[in-house]
Amino acid sequence: MNALLISLFLSASALTGAYAPQQAGSSPLEPALEARVQKLGKELRCPTCQGMSIADSPASVARAQLDKIRGLISDGKTDDEVRAYFVARYGEWILLSPKASGINWLVWLGPALLLIVGFTVIFRQIKRFPLAKSASPASAADEPVERELQPSASTATEDDYLKLVRSELKR
Amino acid sequence: MKWKVTLALSLACAALVFVLYKGFGQDPHEVPFMLRGQPAPTFTLKTLGTGEVVSLAELRGTPVVLNFWATWCAPCRMEHPTLDWAFRQYGNQVKFLGAVFEDTEENARAYIARAGSPYPQLIDPRSQMAVDYGVAGVPETYFIDAEGIIRDKVAFPMDRATFAARIRVLLGPRASAELGK
Repeated sequence: MNALLISLFLSASALTGAYAPQQAGSSPLEPALEARVQKLGKELRCPTCQGMSIADSPASVARAQLDKIRGLISDGKTDDEVRAYFVARYGEWILLSPKASGINWLVWLGPALLLIVGFTVIFRQIKRFPLAKSASPASAADEPVERELQPSASTATEDDYLKLVRSELKR
Repeated sequence: MKWKVTLALSLACAALVFVLYKGFGQDPHEVPFMLRGQPAPTFTLKTLGTGEVVSLAELRGTPVVLNFWATWCAPCRMEHPTLDWAFRQYGNQVKFLGAVFEDTEENARAYIARAGSPYPQLIDPRSQMAVDYGVAGVPETYFIDAEGIIRDKVAFPMDRATFAARIRVLLGPRASAELGK
């Protein structure tokens, strides 16, 4: 059903012209500069197909933004200046990786901080209740019960209650 | 010692809540409007059809309404009558400009021939001027004051009331009084 609806929508879009006509991007720069263009393009978020970089996006606006990067690099702008150009217009939203500064440190350090806190809590718990300590009293406490459960001349004759338990266990 | 641990954990929790508040408190699809109060990026572009050159610098002293649109954009076509109406209402006080976004000149020319446009439509090669303005999609309309400062942006198809409210802010109290007549 979904496939049918999508097909109908795409057919209607094609018939009504509700799509951006594909336009060729500007010519690639010389290899070293084009590598910078693509690297910067990978860092910037596409405004229409979000979650993708403008270097990976097939959207026309992403192509226009990539062309702008080419223009800026051709004008001799540094990578930081190109980033600053886009941040000035689209905010830090445009950066796929937020800058490691100010409140953004929380995003970068938060996971590591949570891991440290987690390990600290585990370490403290282990230190407070060591396994050896917690295991030995239990086993020591179990021993007398085992011993008591074994039939012995003294206990069997003296304790009616134990007799009763044993007879119940034998059923 | 124990109160220090409690304090540290409380601070960590507060930081986490703050990050979550910031994250969930905003629409992740909404592109921030960064150019409010900033000088409008200048441009010199040709108009569709006549080829007349329009420069924003030469329009200094007149408020400008700059609308980015495309023929393939259904909301833009829906907004078109509002802009025609707005031009008739405020065209004597504000310079209206359209800018064709990510579309071919042929498509735009055919659409304008069919639907009409009382104000100039600019051809923006490779949408480079649109990127200068931080356009993320169409329609987007920028309200630029007489000093060339961007005062507002609307990133959805406007109705008459929305447009009128924005233009009143752009023109200020004196113009609002004139419009109220």
